[in-house]
Amino acid sequence: MTSPKEILQFKKEKAKEILESKGFFRPKRVYVGLATCEIAAGSQSIMDIFQSETGNMSDVFVSAKGCAGRCNLEPTVEIVEEGKETVKYVSVNEEKARQIIEKHLKKGEIISEWVVK
Amino acid sequence: MITDNFKKNFGDINFFGKQLRIALRNCGMINPEDIYDYIYNACGYEALAKALSDMKPSEIVEEIKKSGLRGRGGAGFPTGLKWEFTAKEQNFEKYVVCNADEGDPGAFMDRSVIEGDPHSVIEGMLIGGYAVGASKGIIYIRAEYPLAVERLYKAFAAARKEGFLGENILGSKFNFDIEIRLGAGAFVCGEETALINSIEGKRGMPRPRPPFPAANGVFGKPTLVNNVETWANIAAIIIEGYQWFSNIGTEKSKGTKVFALAGKIKNTGLVEVPMGTTLREIVYGIGGGIPNGKKFKSVQTGGPSGGCLTEKFLDTKIDYESLAAAGSIMGSGGMIIIDEDSCMVNLAKYFIEFTQSESCGKCVPCREGTKRMLEILERITSGEGREGDIEKLERLGNVIKQASLCGLGQSAPNPVLSTIKNFRNEYEEHIKLKKCRANACEKLVNYYVTDKCVGCGACKRVCPAGAIEGSLKAKHKVDLARCIKCGRCYKTCKFGAVKKDSGILEIMQ
Ligand code: SF4
Ligand code: SF4
Ligand code: SF4
Ligand code: FES
Repeated sequence: MTSPKEILQFKKEKAKEILESKGFFRPKRVYVGLATCEIAAGSQSIMDIFQSETGNMSDVFVSAKGCAGRCNLEPTVEIVEEGKETVKYVSVNEEKARQIIEKHLKKGEIISEWVVK
Repeated sequence: MITDNFKKNFGDINFFGKQLRIALRNCGMINPEDIYDYIYNACGYEALAKALSDMKPSEIVEEIKKSGLRGRGGAGFPTGLKWEFTAKEQNFEKYVVCNADEGDPGAFMDRSVIEGDPHSVIEGMLIGGYAVGASKGIIYIRAEYPLAVERLYKAFAAARKEGFLGENILGSKFNFDIEIRLGAGAFVCGEETALINSIEGKRGMPRPRPPFPAANGVFGKPTLVNNVETWANIAAIIIEGYQWFSNIGTEKSKGTKVFALAGKIKNTGLVEVPMGTTLREIVYGIGGGIPNGKKFKSVQTGGPSGGCLTEKFLDTKIDYESLAAAGSIMGSGGMIIIDEDSCMVNLAKYFIEFTQSESCGKCVPCREGTKRMLEILERITSGEGREGDIEKLERLGNVIKQASLCGLGQSAPNPVLSTIKNFRNEYEEHIKLKKCRANACEKLVNYYVTDKCVGCGACKRVCPAGAIEGSLKAKHKVDLARCIKCGRCYKTCKFGAVKKDSGILEIMQ
């Protein structure tokens, strides 16, 4: 009989495949906060921009996330790259979102003034 | 370690680096609407699988007991004991309830957990259900949290599809499913017996205890009620073991506590710290101190059930006992920082206004007593305070605390009593000198023009009451009898000539 642990192991492998097919393991992962607080700060339009403007970038995956609890610095966006420190942009607006796509995602330049310390 | 993901991602930031995230371990780290993200990246459902594969229900209860976890909703009752009481009941039907009726003004950790990591709550409830022998779960959540509710429904659907909810979970004999009950937003429904009444479709009024919900809860069945943050801790304890958890914190309070840091503080936000962290570390370390060069005055914890502590308590270690000894409570985790611009009497009035309007009305001391306290505070803050009012407030407060049925009434006087204890001179100034040192009590404040006035007439033009006199280029004057204290002149004068102050009038004019 297969134990719950073993069944979960199968599920975990399946989860990996599903995430893979969604593009989760692409080199750059962008997280946009979509909790009530983030949305109130305007994160939905930031999400829309990231989704539409990185749609044809094969190395970028955009994901929603909840809030990490930086109430006064929302909307927040993180860019995760394997082996690198996560870059945390705060108080992102539409203009900043576009710049992050142009500079950070396309050219690899971190815009350090917008990164929280 | 289950807490490492967050550290790796956010640990380099001051604000996060000083925190330890257990309940919030996945908040902001995963996509809350993607169960696969939870399964693959957050050890999702590993605790459940471990429990079902390797542990007997009684072993799980034992594990939670030994971990030292206590209820995060406010009262701090040992979670493992609650589990044990429910597990011991002989009944075919039992319930496991998640209390997500977050009602403290300014508290939002439950919402944040559910919106950011719904599966952790579900997994905690599954383990609880298995441990106490329940197959039905209920999440009681306020209708004001539509996004959280939506995420829960999505999470349920995904969990059912993957076989984490429903029958024969993960191939075992364990059956469990969860449903949602929406609350209408009454503060008293956060009290567990009122919550149970509300689930049953009755008015949300507390019942006397005993019988406790563990024996006689939802529809008379044995019921285990824990709040969101408590549930979010469970999977972590099962994965990492009780020793790990009980090594964090103080002697009697283990693990971490989430606080919603708000008010006059540079970094507002959600903060999860090990028990035993001092208030000072939160206010000046994580919180970054008071903005605009203002002075720290007080920290309020526990919302309408809690109290206000002064500077001398800043080195208090946060745990259930120490905060109580200092005259406040842990509560569900609201933490409001107050600077010199706030009036403590006014703040106490605000909280009693809240509890007064939320009192369910079942018992006289709470229903009538809070009303009388509010009246006295209203009098004091409008300059009508009388000799003996402070003592009256204390007497009323103590009676209400002792004679009320539920936690709402028992704790409602706390903000007043603690401000009287720590800021008695402010009460006295209001009563005797008609002075509000923060100039926050509108009725005590007077506006007046100083010698800086150049006679530009701007204040006169904006005054809606025609209360300012003076000819061009001459010093203007406020007619206090006509002034309605709207503050427009104060904001309008470019020369800083209009001042506001309270207290004895002659000095000012
Ligand atoms: S203490 Fe207040 S809220 Fe609680 S049962 Fe009595 S009247 Fe209702
Ligand atoms: S606005 Fe200021 S300077 Fe001008 S008349 Fe009024 S008090 Fe005097
Ligand atoms: S506070 Fe308002 S009503 Fe009073 S003098 Fe100034 S502008 Fe006029
Ligand atoms: S509650 Fe989400 S960041 Fe403040």
